[in-house]
Amino acid sequence: MMDDSAHSRTAFSETLSVNLTLNGEPRTLQVAPNAVLLDVLREQLGLGGTKKGCDHGQCGACTVQIDGQAMNSCLRLAVMCEGQHVTTIEGLARDGELHPVQQSFLECDAYQCGYCTPGQMMSASAMLEDDRIGTDDASVKEAMSGNICRCGAYKNILEAIQQARVQLGHDATAARKEGVA
Amino acid sequence: MNDLTQSALTKPRVVGKRTPRIDGEYKLTGRAGYTGELHADGMLYGYPVPATIANGVLESLELDDALSMPGVVDILHHGNFDTLHRSPNSMAHGDMVNEVRLPFEDERIYYHGQYVALVVAETFEQSRAAAQRVVARYQMEDGAIASLLLTEAEGELQDGAGASRGDPEAAFGGAEVTVDSTYHIAAESHLQMEMHATLAEWRDDGQRLIVHESSQGVFFQRNAMARVFGIAQENLEVISHYIGSGFGNKLFMWPHAVATAVAARRLGRPVKVVLPRQQDMTGGGNRPASRQRIRLGADRSGKLTSVIHDSTTETSLVHQYVDTCGSATPSFYACDNVSTSQRVLQVNHGTPCPMRAPGEVSGIFALETAMDELAVELGMDPVELRLKNNAELDPASGLPWSSKHLDECLTSAAQRFGWDKRDPVVGSMRDGDEIIGYGMASCTWSAGRQPCEARVELRADGSLFAACGTQDIGTGTYTIVAQAVAELTGAELSRIEVKLGETGLPAGPLSGGSMATATVLPAVAAAVRDALDAIKEVAVGSGGAFEGSDADSLDVERGGLTDGKRHVSFAEILGASKLSSVNGKGSAAPGNERSEYSFRSFGAHFVEIRIDPGISRVRVARVVSSIDIGRAINPPTARNQVEGGIVMGVGMGLLEKLDYDPRDARLINANVADYIVPTHADAPDIDVELLDYPDFKHNEFGGRGVGEIGLTGVAPAIANAIYHATGKRYRDLPITIEALLAS
Repeated sequence: MMDDSAHSRTAFSETLSVNLTLNGEPRTLQVAPNAVLLDVLREQLGLGGTKKGCDHGQCGACTVQIDGQAMNSCLRLAVMCEGQHVTTIEGLARDGELHPVQQSFLECDAYQCGYCTPGQMMSASAMLEDDRIGTDDASVKEAMSGNICRCGAYKNILEAIQQARVQLGHDATAARKEGVA
Repeated sequence: MNDLTQSALTKPRVVGKRTPRIDGEYKLTGRAGYTGELHADGMLYGYPVPATIANGVLESLELDDALSMPGVVDILHHGNFDTLHRSPNSMAHGDMVNEVRLPFEDERIYYHGQYVALVVAETFEQSRAAAQRVVARYQMEDGAIASLLLTEAEGELQDGAGASRGDPEAAFGGAEVTVDSTYHIAAESHLQMEMHATLAEWRDDGQRLIVHESSQGVFFQRNAMARVFGIAQENLEVISHYIGSGFGNKLFMWPHAVATAVAARRLGRPVKVVLPRQQDMTGGGNRPASRQRIRLGADRSGKLTSVIHDSTTETSLVHQYVDTCGSATPSFYACDNVSTSQRVLQVNHGTPCPMRAPGEVSGIFALETAMDELAVELGMDPVELRLKNNAELDPASGLPWSSKHLDECLTSAAQRFGWDKRDPVVGSMRDGDEIIGYGMASCTWSAGRQPCEARVELRADGSLFAACGTQDIGTGTYTIVAQAVAELTGAELSRIEVKLGETGLPAGPLSGGSMATATVLPAVAAAVRDALDAIKEVAVGSGGAFEGSDADSLDVERGGLTDGKRHVSFAEILGASKLSSVNGKGSAAPGNERSEYSFRSFGAHFVEIRIDPGISRVRVARVVSSIDIGRAINPPTARNQVEGGIVMGVGMGLLEKLDYDPRDARLINANVADYIVPTHADAPDIDVELLDYPDFKHNEFGGRGVGEIGLTGVAPAIANAIYHATGKRYRDLPITIEALLAS
């Protein structure tokens, strides 16, 4: 067992500082230059909702939103996030209310083990705001194909996303009406 | 005689009804703690160093460079590893492991990815960086066996893994119509989304070991670790609250868990290891490749007269694993002359292990493809052939089935699919540039049950608590336990707390073999009844809410008791008697019903494939299935299991193949991009019907389990559809675009 001074010297030598907005809160993090965003979230910040499935950008389990875009957090060094808005699954629900995507995943049983689920929902919630992606099932399936679900709950995930789209559309319409009134 | 019919749940209120998962919100908000994201004070990170050869000897390790890296605390390897013991590896004693060889046990390298060292450091980044600086030198040897599919070697015959009745050889020789075909299936990866992970911590001056493991069987791992470390199992705790699925490769312990626990003991600090995906694929389990020969004999009417099913599968050089392909065959069809045999061949791979519907899914591919070949030989409709050979009794045991509705599965799915629109002429169905193929297959999985214990509390705060040391691997076990408690107490689901996945809880079963539901729920029911007896006793006792009443006159209703005039909640009863809770214990086990009936689920898959001949692309357009699993305790989660099995079947049929280099047996495609699994875009339209025939001979809830059956039968239905479209019979899986191009 090594002594504590040696521990802190080796563990925290050579860190860089990065300023970002994490789930709406401004944060300054001290990170190793080789620290990957995914590992910083999980190991340093205790945000375990973002999952590790491959570390190679192949499975989508680590998907977060960076400035509103779905991205693989395993393919980004933490220091690359200077000045950026990072949203993880922990930031998707607001004020204790599930996001419509979370609510529809619950209702449609759009998961089994739940491990790919945060990544599925971060991709889905970004995709639903992306006008470039068609609203038909085939377009959604194509757009979501970077998120692997080995349990194979794809049918229910598709149903949940399309249900959330309706929910979000209603909300947007209601908000517009309120604005006019 | 069992008394299951007395307690049979014939008119359920909660069981059998759509129930959102009670753990759903934890999973959907990121609060469900899977092993890999857990932390402990002072925790270190371990990163294994994998062998880069598959056959030879580890000559030396150069560690100085790695040891001098920032944050590195220790490196474990053959030269300094603790002396430990092997686990007896017994199913009966609950200490089976997936690889009996201990980590770093000797310097021989048996497979690519075998651990040669474990680097331990203060941070994850430091452990990974240092692991990459370890230099291992090997004496590589020729003669590595890269795959069963790349050798003519026969393997060793397994006594006791086969079965025989009648005279199948003679019947085959004299049959009017025969099929004699050989099938090959590539090794597959479980590719569960959460890699194997262990967090080990020794407490009480190294007397007690606490292990968090992503595990389908916490009790098995506890027992195995007790044997390996030579400590009392009472001083060991294994915990697994959330599991990023397993599909069989997390049933039993792997060497990484032992290495992690040794590191934690030696360093006096908790250590966490999450296997990198590459190592998870090389050394964390696989479905072994298989070679199967099927011989079918039939008369002109299509009646089977002989079934001979001879199989060979792989195992590793360090562990014997038998993936018995023929286990369903003796029970599948009514036929007087049947034999199965099983051989095993050692190859230079990481050890194979059970993977969803182990053995049978491979065997059913061969058998159900052969049946399609027989239908073609006979000029008979494949559905008709199966109905004609439907077994009314279990032909293997001679016992009646507890409940079997395969005929209804076949006819119902055929009708919903539109099978009557199938033109049997090969390649005759087209839609624009695409050729359409229709294919089908039956599916099956045995219905097992194990002993189990459970505990239930009724609490003064109005909550109810149920505990069992089984796991929820994503199948929905948390939720069905809550449903069972709600059913029998009338309490609201929202008041029920369920605890699973700890060896400190009453002993529960493996989450495997589609047995957990039928095993756990009867024990939970027994515990509920015990708790209800206890609260009735409180209620009628001195100062009780129903003081002086006869306990037998009280009925359970809406989370309380009633005497017909007055309803008092459990909470009020406990409060009136100044009690915090009452406790109920229960246990359940299969009884002698298993000598009276055979228990097995059946179903049918119908598949439409579409082939674009211009680019040799095949896709599965839709799958229509009817499955009889007894009662679905929670229909959406049960259907989800079957739908997921169908998606995995698309992978088995068309995509999935662990590629071992024929030159040196190294695994070429140990990553998620090169080992291809179905994505959203690959998922067909799926229509699953679950028949609703509760099987009360199996257990009082009527459920037979659902995890495996959906996968079985999918790949042969795809292969049979491709035959219908192309006239080419594919007997090797996966049916890749390369195979289609070659034809």
